Amino acid sequence: MRHWMFSCKKITGMISESMDRKLPLSRRMGIRFHLMMCALCRRYRQQLLFIRTLLRSDKEAEDLSGQALSDDARKRIEEKLAGQVPKDRHP
Amino acid sequence: MTGNIQTDDDPISWLDQYGDALYRFARARVRDAFAAEDLVQETLLAAYRSRDGFFRQSSMKTWLTGIMKHKIVDYYRKLTPEQGEDNLDDFTYSLDNLFDTREKWKIKPGEWGGDPQNVFEGKELMATIHDCLAGMPEKMALAFTLREKEGASTGEISELLQTGKDNCWVILYRARMLLRRCLEINWFGRKK
Repeated sequence: MRHWMFSCKKITGMISESMDRKLPLSRRMGIRFHLMMCALCRRYRQQLLFIRTLLRSDKEAEDLSGQALSDDARKRIEEKLAGQVPKDRHP
Repeated sequence: MTGNIQTDDDPISWLDQYGDALYRFARARVRDAFAAEDLVQETLLAAYRSRDGFFRQSSMKTWLTGIMKHKIVDYYRKLTPEQGEDNLDDFTYSLDNLFDTREKWKIKPGEWGGDPQNVFEGKELMATIHDCLAGMPEKMALAFTLREKEGASTGEISELLQTGKDNCWVILYRARMLLRRCLEINWFGRKK
């Protein structure tokens, strides 16, 4: 195996890393070259990207629906805060 | 305290204005809903105590979010080690299993169906993803969710996890491998 050829296992790690930061050119070329020949790693990559797309659209949906503090929690926190304020203001 | 407008040092008005946003921020980072509520409370209390440190250059929301980030780092620092690194290593074995000795695929990635749009049986699929994440060590699931869902940088993630970026990439890699495999078994496998 030549130094610029990577195993499937190695490539899966590099593909994952390329989703988190820009890889050096030599490694990007290594991925490209491997993907041209390897249908399984191509599939792997598509699946990772699919999962990311799915989660990002789930996040958008959540942001729109607006998750909020429960009334109970809000009340509890409010009481706690109210307990602090007067103490500090009128020692 | 000089020159502060009334609403600016009233923590209850902060709760009204930013409570939900802070809660969402915490929930995206902490699995437990009660812990997230506590984090909102701690953040507002800490903000109130250090209100003199707030400068108008930054927005109130940014300032509060900054305080919350520290609180979340503390929260994870306090988690017991078993919920952290130790656990992460158990998963190396199951990943190694996916490849043969020449590092070629042994358990081959399956066909997930041609058109990704078709797979958008939204809620059910998301539920399966959440089940898969629930089976991972909390820190691994956290790193994964922050990166893939929230779009957080590995910088923020490594700060939260108190680990180097190198390790962060490793954790994310394992998480992706595990989740991909988990979905393949529990979602795409089931459909056949």
